[in-house]
Amino acid sequence: MSSKRKETLLAAGFLMPVFIVYTVFLFVPLVNTAMYSLTKWNGVTEKVFIGIRNYQELFHNADYWITFQNTIKLVVITLVIQIPTGLLLAYLLYINTKGSKVFRTIFFLPVVIAPVAIALMFSLFYNSEIGVFNRILEMIGLGGLQTNWLSNTKTLLYAVMAPQVWQYIGLYVTIFLGALQAVPEELVESAEIDGAGKIRTFFYVVLPQIVNFTNICVILCVTGSLKAFEHSWIMTGGGPGVRSAYLGVYMYKTAFVNSDFGTGSAITMTIVALSLAITGLINGIGRWRERE
Amino acid sequence: MTDSATIKYIVNERARIHDKTEKGVGYMKKNTEKWTALLMTAVMAAGLTGCGNAGAETQDAKQPVAEQAQTAQSDTGQEQQDAAAETESGGAAGGKVSVVLATNWGEGDAKYDYFYPLFEKFQEEHKDTLDITLQTYSTEDYKTKIKTQTASGDLPDVFTYWGGGMMKDMVDAGLLLNVDDYFAASSEVSKEDFEDGAFEYYVSGDGNAYGIPLESTRGIFIANKALFEQYDLEYPKTYEELVKVSEVFRANDIIPLAIGSNGGTPSEFFFSELYNQYEGAADEIKALAAGGSFHTENAVRVAEVIVDMIDQGMLPADTMANGGWTGSLQLYTDQKAAMTYTYPWNFEFIPDEMQENSEIIPIPQLPGATVDSASMISGFTVYGLVINKQSFEDAAKHDAVLALCDFLASDELTQELTKSGMIPCKKVEVNTDEQKLIMQKTIEYAKDKKLVQVHYTTMPSADAITMMDSSLDELFIKAITPEEFTQKVQAVLDKNNE
Repeated sequence: MSSKRKETLLAAGFLMPVFIVYTVFLFVPLVNTAMYSLTKWNGVTEKVFIGIRNYQELFHNADYWITFQNTIKLVVITLVIQIPTGLLLAYLLYINTKGSKVFRTIFFLPVVIAPVAIALMFSLFYNSEIGVFNRILEMIGLGGLQTNWLSNTKTLLYAVMAPQVWQYIGLYVTIFLGALQAVPEELVESAEIDGAGKIRTFFYVVLPQIVNFTNICVILCVTGSLKAFEHSWIMTGGGPGVRSAYLGVYMYKTAFVNSDFGTGSAITMTIVALSLAITGLINGIGRWRERE
Repeated sequence: MTDSATIKYIVNERARIHDKTEKGVGYMKKNTEKWTALLMTAVMAAGLTGCGNAGAETQDAKQPVAEQAQTAQSDTGQEQQDAAAETESGGAAGGKVSVVLATNWGEGDAKYDYFYPLFEKFQEEHKDTLDITLQTYSTEDYKTKIKTQTASGDLPDVFTYWGGGMMKDMVDAGLLLNVDDYFAASSEVSKEDFEDGAFEYYVSGDGNAYGIPLESTRGIFIANKALFEQYDLEYPKTYEELVKVSEVFRANDIIPLAIGSNGGTPSEFFFSELYNQYEGAADEIKALAAGGSFHTENAVRVAEVIVDMIDQGMLPADTMANGGWTGSLQLYTDQKAAMTYTYPWNFEFIPDEMQENSEIIPIPQLPGATVDSASMISGFTVYGLVINKQSFEDAAKHDAVLALCDFLASDELTQELTKSGMIPCKKVEVNTDEQKLIMQKTIEYAKDKKLVQVHYTTMPSADAITMMDSSLDELFIKAITPEEFTQKVQAVLDKNNE
């Protein structure tokens, strides 16, 4: 057997399991979902082909747009809060090594706790009868800010987002800390010897070195938000109505609670389309930045 | 060398050493990666092979018994047919027949303490012939589980479930047994053992009943006697009186009505109870099952009253935290609320002293209402038992399913469950002395009242019920208007009627 043929076979051998797994668990279900989205189907009786009617109804459905907006808000809020906070905390751990191991553990601890437990814990914190949030606010003289967090249309969505945003900051702290530790010390030392302060060193020396890690964090942040489910489902069931639901929760409610698998599949396809659009946007920005 | 040149040199040297080290480590890493990758490939391949085998087993197991029997007969005759019948889907293993029973009467449910000991006894008595898997879930999870299992064609053999719109999809798909077939086969239970009209909730469009009714219910509006006495107040008979009473309670940090809305409970039944006070409303509720409208003048009017109750501060401000059956009841039993609306399945959670301290009163008459609220009470069949048709017709499982259903519909279990506050649909002797005090009060209060239905039992589909529940949640936080609320539910009904 020629060495080229051997190489090809070896490559095929390595690629085949991934190809099979992806085909069976991703591509085939995706194609099936696309087909179901064109049908009226309650999961039990025969599927009836209705073309794009599910999509038409969906785009005229106010609840769908509420969940769409909620999802976009979550993407933006996680990007704005999780990544900068993660980076800041990681940099603080990096420059001040005293007790950094303890803090690293503390920051990462929420990440390994089940989202269900975190969500349940927060729903108790928010409870107007037994919750601690309102009591803490009162104790620190901010009693005027007390509210019924999950029953107030102004605070509901953000109250549901908060535990998710908080829980995964530790993940970004860990990623950024690893990235910072990989930055050659010589560069930082050179900058310091050249008289650059901590802040300028961070922005002009360190940050450019970890830009690829930032891209990874952005992708993790966006994908995490697009598939957000547990916190919303456990805390409020996506409700009242769909006021605190994301697209994933709305899809689940439509397909599995209302047994409308046709519309549920259509929602799934819009999530896929949204994911692809955002991925395209991120990649576009990446390419533009490289050209710059 | 200048200072900066020295620094550059040091940096370059360090970088060179760093690269060298990296290369050395890189070689070792490549080898390790190669072996790790090979190992992972092998594990994955073994895993996939394993999956393949499991799939084949499942496929065999799901082959209908009739089909298996036919194959067996064509091969070696009757002996193998019997063997095939014994080894059918989850079926006989070592002479035992496996059946799955699913219910929401699990731990935490009011009925669990009364159901489970008798179930264990039944299991013990049939330990040589039956292998029963009991699956229990909390109510909302249970609904989703059954819907998912319906879609995946994996329904339990016997399970407790709701009728009306909730079972429609299963009936349409021919998954449930016409209970006449069960009664024809059973020597223990007959259709005549049940109250007249009890089967209505389980009667489908084809006129057949697809469930055995187990539980009937009555909705009660209760007031805390001690609190009313403490503030020298009379029980409100009209909405105006309710407003005045509420002002007093609110001034004393007591929530007037412990009724929230989380997942549509208890708000949905409360909405129906209020609805029944209006002219023609009872007929409108009945008509829903046959394609009637939800978006009625009465519905908008009742939703407006509820919004007014919210504005007047009568209901808990944190409707999500204090919604749900237990959340609402908790405020009342903790004496943080003066009145509430509840059902017998919650009686287990009312402490004895609160049962003593509670008075059942008519819901105050709403503005413009013409039906006297003191003359009626919501009362209907709410829960029962359904049988997986395929399992019942499965030769190997038939007797096991029959025995299990006989147990679930037995007088003994029915009588035991009444101790939890259940009103039986079956005609059984009930020792009232063994009933909870609040149950005795309910029976006494309800005896001269006209029974009225609620939307839950007449809604033609499960998604309309879900929409009513979730839209009520929205109404309770005033995210939508009364008009929008009724339109949202109507939109689902219209979509289903297309």
